[in-house]
Amino acid sequence: MSSTKTSRIGEETRVDKVNAELVTLTYGTIVAQLCQDYDSNYQDVNKQLDKMGYNIGMRLIEDFLAKSGVGRCANFRETADMIAKVGFKIFLNVTPTVTNWTSDNTQFSLIFEDNPLADFVELPDDGRAQDELWFSNILCGVLRGSLEMVQMQIEAHFVSDVLRGDDTTEMRVSLVRYIEDEMPPEEE
Amino acid sequence: MAAASKAAIPSSSAVLGSISTLNNPSLLKMSYYFTILSPTDTPLFNIAFGTSKGGGDGIARFRFPETAQYMNQFIIHSSLDILEEAQWTNGGMYLKHIDTYPPAAAYITAFLTPSGARFLLLHQPPNLPSSTSSSSGLGSSSLLGTAGSTTRASSSSIAANPTSPQTEEAVRQFMNEVYENYVKTAMSPFYKQGMEIKSPVFRTRVTAAGKKWL
Amino acid sequence: MAAPPRHATMQSISNGGIAPGTDRPQTQQTQAQLSQQSPGLRVPSNRKTIYDRHLNRSRNAELSRASFAFLFGEMVTYAQRRVTGIQDLEKRLNEQGYPLGLRLLDLLFYRSTSTSSSALSSSSTSSSPPNRPLRIITLLHLIHGPLWRLLFGRAADALEHSVSPDTPNEYMITDNDPMVNTYISAPRDMSMLNCAAYVAGIIEGVCDGCGFETKVSAHNQPTELWPSRTVFLVRFGDPVMEREKVLERAGVK
Repeated sequence: MSSTKTSRIGEETRVDKVNAELVTLTYGTIVAQLCQDYDSNYQDVNKQLDKMGYNIGMRLIEDFLAKSGVGRCANFRETADMIAKVGFKIFLNVTPTVTNWTSDNTQFSLIFEDNPLADFVELPDDGRAQDELWFSNILCGVLRGSLEMVQMQIEAHFVSDVLRGDDTTEMRVSLVRYIEDEMPPEEE
Repeated sequence: MAAASKAAIPSSSAVLGSISTLNNPSLLKMSYYFTILSPTDTPLFNIAFGTSKGGGDGIARFRFPETAQYMNQFIIHSSLDILEEAQWTNGGMYLKHIDTYPPAAAYITAFLTPSGARFLLLHQPPNLPSSTSSSSGLGSSSLLGTAGSTTRASSSSIAANPTSPQTEEAVRQFMNEVYENYVKTAMSPFYKQGMEIKSPVFRTRVTAAGKKWL
Repeated sequence: MAAPPRHATMQSISNGGIAPGTDRPQTQQTQAQLSQQSPGLRVPSNRKTIYDRHLNRSRNAELSRASFAFLFGEMVTYAQRRVTGIQDLEKRLNEQGYPLGLRLLDLLFYRSTSTSSSALSSSSTSSSPPNRPLRIITLLHLIHGPLWRLLFGRAADALEHSVSPDTPNEYMITDNDPMVNTYISAPRDMSMLNCAAYVAGIIEGVCDGCGFETKVSAHNQPTELWPSRTVFLVRFGDPVMEREKVLERAGVK
């Protein structure tokens, strides 16, 4: 599917709306609560966010397919385009830039100009949060969970975040393998 | 604008009596102590500065420098009862001048955020070498502010006249600007109500607001 | 009287340790000199912090309702694993909504002040900033109208006062079709209670923020027409009722 056509799908898909700030504040509460529950062990918070994202991703993919009406992507490059221009557009009203492809087309970066989940946020000034916490880590889990449901095993992690003082917010996504269904031997 | 009217500040340390030196630079050296308290009166932030207007250098020079920090906090805290009263009769956020502490010629202006945080500004004119105490004044506190405006007004020296409409307006603008920055602080999910505000950026912003308006 | 806070900071200021006029670049090295202050956070090279972001930027921004639903669903699921029963769960969700109430209160007032719209003020001719609510009815109207509109895009459906003489401190806010209930795919009866407790917490935060000590709880009261109908019971504390009497006598609105 052409890139412009993908963008158009993202733009035209109609969804029920909610005040963005309610989403932002709710997500902020989730992260703050985790930091409290895990006693500021940010590694554990990152893991938990990833897990929560994974749970969401597994349900979100259906919603995505229903809303966007798109079919299967031909290759990983198309998948990336779909994620950025349709997926993120529908759910977070942002279109991260897809860039930094490896030569074998199995890894790419998503660069976020805007991140509604992180609006208003300032990390705790405890000398550690900025080095250890990935505030939007739930998004990595969401990608992992939703793509697994369409037969792709991927790995995603943030490499930079403006909340940490970096200049960009960048997520690195790698394709691990396509998941082949194993047919039970008795089936014809 | 430089109308001389009777000063309404009582006590022997009154400086806002009829002093003739209009160009006395020390007149403009108003000192400010600004504090933010939580709804339960826990201190969240404080800063002291002097006026930057009219050639002021922005540095606070309180009357009793050795004990200024204690005095200022004491004065502020003793005006909290009045603040509580004012809070329920005045629905505005900017509560204007709520209290006076004559022994230190301190004026207290208050602003109450909708979520209950208190902004309190203590302004203290400097001690002047010669001062004539003027007519009898009010008691130690007044919800309604002083009865009349005081002297020493070159039109830009809001510093010299803590209860004039110009001063009240300038303080209101200052409070509004601090409020904007306070809301930005409070919107972060990691900021819990009652937490001290440690951000150096916040401090810079408040300082800049002080410089701009006061 | 509280002990003087931040002694060291006060001293550094009055000694001229921080000259108000200088604009300090946000670097860790510079901040380290002010040993009494926190070192400060790292910022991107464009030096942008939350203080640079305009509060009204996302004012009318909208996202897919599903995003809220998914996040909220996970929040509930996570909470369920850490609590020992429905009441505990409700309490936890209430606690999570509470700080939102405080934040939304400030945001609501800030926005009314900055645009000088009279959305909150009761006087139609007023162009001055809105007033903090001083009376219960004004507070409830604030919640029923502006707060609900901010959260859900429309006003709440009903505002009532308990008719029972035993509970003059009880008021009810009704929402016939709470947005937070849609899309949640957990067991119906349980899910409704959960979602509403979060909103109850938000309401409680707003009331407490305004100085009205309150307990708010959410109750399902479905009707044929509105199967998701939820009633938020607002119970004001005794000090609030006392003050109401005083203010009523004093003629304060």
